[in-house]
Amino acid sequence: MAETILKLDKVTKVYPNGTVANRDINMEFEKGEIHSIVGENGAGKSTLMKMIFGIEAPSSGTITYKGQETHFASSMDAIKAGIGMVHQHFMLIPSFSIVDNIILGDEPKNGIFIDRKEAIRKTQEVSDKYNFELDVTAKVSTLSVAKRQKVEILKTLYREAELIILDEPTSVLTPQETEQLFVQLRSLQAQGHTILFISHKLEEVKKISDRISVIRNGVSKGTYRNDELTMEQLTNLIIGRDLENDLDEFKTNEDFHNEKALIVENLSMERNGKPALNNVSFAVKKGEILGIAGVEGNGQVDLVRCITGLEKIKYDGKIIINNTDTTGMNIKARRDLKMAYIPEDRMGDGTAGKLPISDNIISTYYTRDDVNSGMFMDSKAIDKISDDLIKTFAVKTSSNKTAVGSLSGGNIQKVVVAREYNTKPTFMIAEQPTHGIDIGSAEFVHHKLIEMRNAGAGILLVSADLNEVIDLSDRVIVMFDGEIAGYFPDANDINESNLGMYMLGAKKQTAEEIGGALND
Amino acid sequence: MLGNIFSSLFKLSFLLTVLRMATPILFASIAAFVTASAGVANIAVESIMTFGALAGILGSYATGNVWAGVAIGLVVGAGTALLIAFFSMRLGADPILIGIALNTFADSLSIFFLYLATGEKGTSASLLTPTLGSVDIPGIKSIPVLGEILSGQYILTYVCWFLLIVLFIMIYKTPLGMRMRACGLNADAAKTAGINVGRIRVFSLVLSGLFAALGGMYLSLNSIHLFSKGMVSGLGWMGIAANGIANGSYGMLLLSALLFAVFRGISIVFSQSAVFPVDLVRAVPYFAVFFFLTISSIISYLRIKSGKVEEQ
Repeated sequence: MAETILKLDKVTKVYPNGTVANRDINMEFEKGEIHSIVGENGAGKSTLMKMIFGIEAPSSGTITYKGQETHFASSMDAIKAGIGMVHQHFMLIPSFSIVDNIILGDEPKNGIFIDRKEAIRKTQEVSDKYNFELDVTAKVSTLSVAKRQKVEILKTLYREAELIILDEPTSVLTPQETEQLFVQLRSLQAQGHTILFISHKLEEVKKISDRISVIRNGVSKGTYRNDELTMEQLTNLIIGRDLENDLDEFKTNEDFHNEKALIVENLSMERNGKPALNNVSFAVKKGEILGIAGVEGNGQVDLVRCITGLEKIKYDGKIIINNTDTTGMNIKARRDLKMAYIPEDRMGDGTAGKLPISDNIISTYYTRDDVNSGMFMDSKAIDKISDDLIKTFAVKTSSNKTAVGSLSGGNIQKVVVAREYNTKPTFMIAEQPTHGIDIGSAEFVHHKLIEMRNAGAGILLVSADLNEVIDLSDRVIVMFDGEIAGYFPDANDINESNLGMYMLGAKKQTAEEIGGALND
Repeated sequence: MLGNIFSSLFKLSFLLTVLRMATPILFASIAAFVTASAGVANIAVESIMTFGALAGILGSYATGNVWAGVAIGLVVGAGTALLIAFFSMRLGADPILIGIALNTFADSLSIFFLYLATGEKGTSASLLTPTLGSVDIPGIKSIPVLGEILSGQYILTYVCWFLLIVLFIMIYKTPLGMRMRACGLNADAAKTAGINVGRIRVFSLVLSGLFAALGGMYLSLNSIHLFSKGMVSGLGWMGIAANGIANGSYGMLLLSALLFAVFRGISIVFSQSAVFPVDLVRAVPYFAVFFFLTISSIISYLRIKSGKVEEQ
């Protein structure tokens, strides 16, 4: 039996408003293991981590670290005790160098001054010891996302962390970068570090973990050895039922006569003086889902902004929505062509957080006759629409007057999808439609997208989640550096690592092959 | 006539005027800069300068010792800054609103205290107060040109120069300064590095209050030996403008402050000449502020647009 480094005993967290985030959690973490904690959004993973890391105090129960009961007053205490945390949103200062980011809060001193030489030496030494291959004097703003993550891990190692908590570390990485991260984690493990890996990507959890603990609704569903658990059992533990995982079963294939919901022809644009999109051409047919895969920042956002008109940008080329050239049209005019849009930023672009569900659920069609009599809003009709949609979309709320911002991420997204669904679109852009929401809600959103597809809508799916793109789409294109790097006419025979090569720009198809995206 | 004025701009005396004008603007600028670098906006520089100016005079009068007066002025400056810290960080008010409130009632409040002390509402001329003098530095004094610049300045001018250097070293070379900048650039990152962001910000506010109070006392204890109503007349705002133009760069901060001082110097030379309407000439420094703020925001807009810097 390995040595226990961290033990949670009946840890409970009740927030002042009465919400129980964690109840009687018992868990043990062994020294030198990679231990994953999985659960849906809002299951209580983050609260648990905050308690281990000293950001919040448990309401009851005890946390024992290295055989001693701990009561961390702040994360500083946890850091001193040898616990490090890599947050999902990087805690880095882009205009500082790597060294400065790492020594911040624990600076080597020479009299009253920062001892920069010593700082660089020590940081480089730690970096080299763990093979991070970083030039520690480089500015963080010049680094790729994967390297920034390395800096975060380095930060914990510099403070001699033995137990490292990684919160959704792969959500920003490509499959190849994730591979590299895993190699790194294994080498940390080999040097005696304990890794606490938090994720909702189950394939990755299965790949990296020695043991897995599951949390559902704030309650522990047990800790299992990875090899004694199948993927189906794991899913079942997380959501409390089986997931219908083959979405293709739900697809029906009516003939929509190859009609095009969207045609993009030779689209090019510049941002900040650099080409952001270069000669992009493709079409979305009615009754299909066209997926766009790619690492974030390869032109997807620019593409969506051109199509939706969300940003007034100058571009060359043509965007035709439901047979109408949209040149010069504003968002409203485009929406009047039966375009719908699920934006990536659900809090910023998708909803007005302080307003009730009932306002948010009609906000893209508030001028429509059924909710607007010309002079006044028809509040009865709005209430009815809201209540119906809340029911159909299983939005967890006590009333349609609840402020959208107080719902969980999954429920906010359901409100957005419900609203767009209710515009009865023939063309829809779904941008990262399930990003950061729980499996249950994500599954629901996927089914609604397929339902719309079956009814004849053309759907453009933009997602950084490869599984989502592959599972949901009929056809797939890959974007790299503002161009279409690959086109896959059948999403069913895509090999994920092959797709990754296109995403990273290691491979590119010929113009003829890519032409299929427009002409098939 | 106009030729005379222009030729007077190229004389040593004009440079000395500019230096005199620069000190309070420099104080105001570092007052604005030090909080901004820690991520709090202190727009109450103007009012703290007013309080400091009055407290310095009344303190000197009451104690009969100008240095005791300076100490009282500093306490008032730091106290006002702590008030801002208390309202914004403890009670959760918007620091901008607190700044507006302080600035709005600074003039009236200072006149109220002036009236209590002197029975007058205009100036403290009736109070006989000791003042801070200037310092002649033997040796340097006799060097031509340079001697006139480096020697014979007011004590607070030397204090100002000294503080400019100390502040630079503190912000860019010490752990404390690095933590301050971290709080300004990404407070969450600072927090997770174990830095007490609130404490750092309170500290930066207090420093800001001290600097602003010194700027105010430069006006009342040095140049004219009295407090008069509205004497700060926008100098605090010039410091805030200089900080805005500097956008985090210490060099740009000093440069902008000096530039504003040059325009104040110009406006004084012109207003003595009576060629142009005095009111118009007095507005020159404010036009300069407006002009340079506009230019600087256009430049930063273009820089962001051209992709040279990441949008914050």
